[in-house]
Amino acid sequence: MEMLPLTLQVLVFPGLLFAAAAGLVTSWVDRMVTARVQMRVGPPFLQPFYDVVKLMIKETCVPAGGARALFLAAPLAGLAGAALASTIIWRAFLARGSGFSGDVIVLLYLLTLPALAVILGSFASRNPLASLGGSREMKLLLAYELPFVLAVLAVVARTGALRLEEILAAPAAATRPSGIIALVVAVLCMQAKLTLVPFDAPEAETELSGGAYIEYSGPPLAVFKLTRAMMLFTMPVFLVAVFGGGIRLGDGVLPAVAGVLKVVGLVVATILIRNTAPRVRIDQAVRFFWGPATLAALVATGLVFVGL
Amino acid sequence: MNGLGDILRHPVGLTIGVPLLTGLIGRLLPRAWRREQGIVAVAGTAVAAMLAWRVFAAGGLMPGAGPWLVVDGLSRFVLAAVATFGFLIALFSLGHAAVPPVAREYYAYLAWTVGIACGAVLANDLILLLVLWGLLGLTLYVMIGLSGPDASAAAKKSFVIVGGSDCLLMLGIVIVWLLTGSTRMNGPVLPFTGGLTYAAFLCFAAAALAKAGAVPVHSWVPDCGEKALAPVTAFLPASLDKLLGIYLLARVTRGMFAPDACMNLVLMAVGAVTVVAAVMMALVQHDLKRLLSYHAVSQVGYMVLGIGAGTPLGLAGGLFHMLNNAVYKSALFLCAGAVEEKAGTTDLDRLGGLARAMPATFATCLTASLAISGIPPLNGFFSKWMVYQGIVQSAGAAGPVWVVWLAAAMIGSALTLASFAKVLHAVFLCKPAAGTDLREAREVNWAMRAPMLALAAVCVLFGVLAVPLPLRTMILPAAGGDTPMIGVWWSGTATAMMAAAFVFGLLLYAVSRAGRARECATYVGGEIVGASAAPAASVEVTGVDFYRTIEEMQPLQSIYAAAGKKLFDLYDVGTSVLFYFVEALRKAHGGVLPVYLTWVLAGLLILVWRLAQ
Repeated sequence: MEMLPLTLQVLVFPGLLFAAAAGLVTSWVDRMVTARVQMRVGPPFLQPFYDVVKLMIKETCVPAGGARALFLAAPLAGLAGAALASTIIWRAFLARGSGFSGDVIVLLYLLTLPALAVILGSFASRNPLASLGGSREMKLLLAYELPFVLAVLAVVARTGALRLEEILAAPAAATRPSGIIALVVAVLCMQAKLTLVPFDAPEAETELSGGAYIEYSGPPLAVFKLTRAMMLFTMPVFLVAVFGGGIRLGDGVLPAVAGVLKVVGLVVATILIRNTAPRVRIDQAVRFFWGPATLAALVATGLVFVGL
Repeated sequence: MNGLGDILRHPVGLTIGVPLLTGLIGRLLPRAWRREQGIVAVAGTAVAAMLAWRVFAAGGLMPGAGPWLVVDGLSRFVLAAVATFGFLIALFSLGHAAVPPVAREYYAYLAWTVGIACGAVLANDLILLLVLWGLLGLTLYVMIGLSGPDASAAAKKSFVIVGGSDCLLMLGIVIVWLLTGSTRMNGPVLPFTGGLTYAAFLCFAAAALAKAGAVPVHSWVPDCGEKALAPVTAFLPASLDKLLGIYLLARVTRGMFAPDACMNLVLMAVGAVTVVAAVMMALVQHDLKRLLSYHAVSQVGYMVLGIGAGTPLGLAGGLFHMLNNAVYKSALFLCAGAVEEKAGTTDLDRLGGLARAMPATFATCLTASLAISGIPPLNGFFSKWMVYQGIVQSAGAAGPVWVVWLAAAMIGSALTLASFAKVLHAVFLCKPAAGTDLREAREVNWAMRAPMLALAAVCVLFGVLAVPLPLRTMILPAAGGDTPMIGVWWSGTATAMMAAAFVFGLLLYAVSRAGRARECATYVGGEIVGASAAPAASVEVTGVDFYRTIEEMQPLQSIYAAAGKKLFDLYDVGTSVLFYFVEALRKAHGGVLPVYLTWVLAGLLILVWRLAQ
């Protein structure tokens, strides 16, 4: 791992290109499962790649009167955040305790960068529908961040560690009642973080015609799609790292496969939720995350302190 | 003991003396020489800032002033910060159109404030500190009042709250003197042996928190921020008073007392409540300057949390956050001043679309907004991250409650982001609301632009190079030595990696020729919107009501309603209680001469009657 310079790591493996490729494959799985649920055949394996490449060769339109530089830079900032987050998480699996890494607080902040990019990009569009979408994305972030932070802190409280390697060295959180509750909360928050149904109010095709993304086209839209794909893969990996003992590489094939299966399990859970739930209004989402979800996360944290 | 001359010749003495003299010169110049008064103030504060940095670099106490002044890791870094902010604000004021009408008083009090604040930071004697602290309250009162009769109520409120806390400071000093027989600040550390020590500590803490503006003694900050001139707010409540208040809190918790778990718990509770309560208020404001002021309160919470954590890492984080906050918060207020000058208002409902007209202001505001929201890799993230680690470290001492403090601090950060998303949208990005004409708005002049851009650059610099620049040279010496982090964030390396990914994206754009983008009209469901003479106001989104859904949720709605009635404002509640009791006396003072004469006559009659007996 240490053979590669850090620039290559963030750009190729385990950063940008790796996460993007894995994310596009994940999105193919998503589309396949969705198709099967809806009695359709589903797209070919490379369809997500074709979609991105096609957008890349399309013309870019910037909205008249908008903040052009911010409009074009916002997708890149989100991409950079997702790439760095992916690099840090995978380095915890691959290069345990050596050199550059990060802790869970850093990761929590880095993983909000893609959402922030969407918000700033939509505001720079100078379109009322985009503004509303951006504001919903912001409210959604406010909503899920509280239970998500509490769920992660339940693990920090158990292990007393902030560094991902130290959390990985401890027994997996999800083997205990507190960890299971925290994981369930975190999965629901992940659904919102990925703005998947039922928490897709920021895009809401039927009301806002794409909302936050309405003015985006061509390469900037491709970058947004790529970032979303990266998050679709990186978020489950992050949850597996924090709650599920991570992906153990270097201890033989079986543990590695088990780790990957955990990620696949979370992805499938996400897809099933998205295919079986209707969209909730943004105020319902806020109420849900600040109410029952936060309460459950607090219960999980409380259980940690009584030793469960 | 050296003579007065020696003290005055020494850089430490000069740092205090030069601004005081500058203020005096400015005051003596004719009223009409407005430009010259500004130049004198800029020059004087520039000299003071240079001297302060010389003191910072050299360290060491000047001979002769031993018991009175102290130059140590903590005071010299705060000194340098105070003097530098004084200079930047003076420079900004030189270009700000709202200053000239009151130039003589404004610049004089600005320079005097710098001098007195430098003295207060260096003071090692509690009596000296008390006197200077009181004088600062006075200059604060005068400077808020400068922006006209509108501000007099805000000035009075500030004076009552800050001055009232001076009484607590005095009480604390008396108790310390009773316990130790000394008024030195660097004397022996007082152990918590009895109720008196607790009382003394709480008195000092209350005075420090009132100056810094923490809940529940915060309510002067929003009023002042809304009514006072923007550079005054940028200087006093946003940077100087934070520096002083948190400086005092740090000095008291580190050098004078050794807070136990209970006192730390009190501090952390105050910090966490301050963070969340103030940012929730900021979220629903409609005025840019008032919104920023609530953030000036909210940010204090992080500093108090850091200091209250009681660990070296927490203290260092709190001090770093104090410095960072002063940087981005004054930058934000300067932006507000620039916007106010060019658009004529700070009402978020009436602003919009200034990003193109004022690119430098927008860039500053964007950077500072992201910094205050703790977005990596900017400076606000680094210091918040250190505070969080401090809270995690305090876990052993205080039981499970640290999780609540940490979660409150982190959600506070997200709420800050939300509130600044609204600011950026409403001021710079959205279409101006119907009936507002901002087409004439232009970028501000260089005297205003330079300090704003400099502060924005510091936001980036102190974030990316946090460890080699501010931490190693200023913060860690002030906090008492090197402290290992328990988390990992290599800000420089991480920034380089993010920059690499960003550049990669730019290359994608270049290859696909996204730079040569075509401008298209926005798509609003296929409707033509805002093109006619009477723009359809109903489809304009200013961003002011972004968080209406949150505002209208129970129980938040009731809490906001109570806040609207000023039920959480100690000052307003206090005055109502006071007026309830003195109402009868007020009625007697009607200002009607015959009534007064009747009272005098009645008194005279009673006197005569008594004497006759």
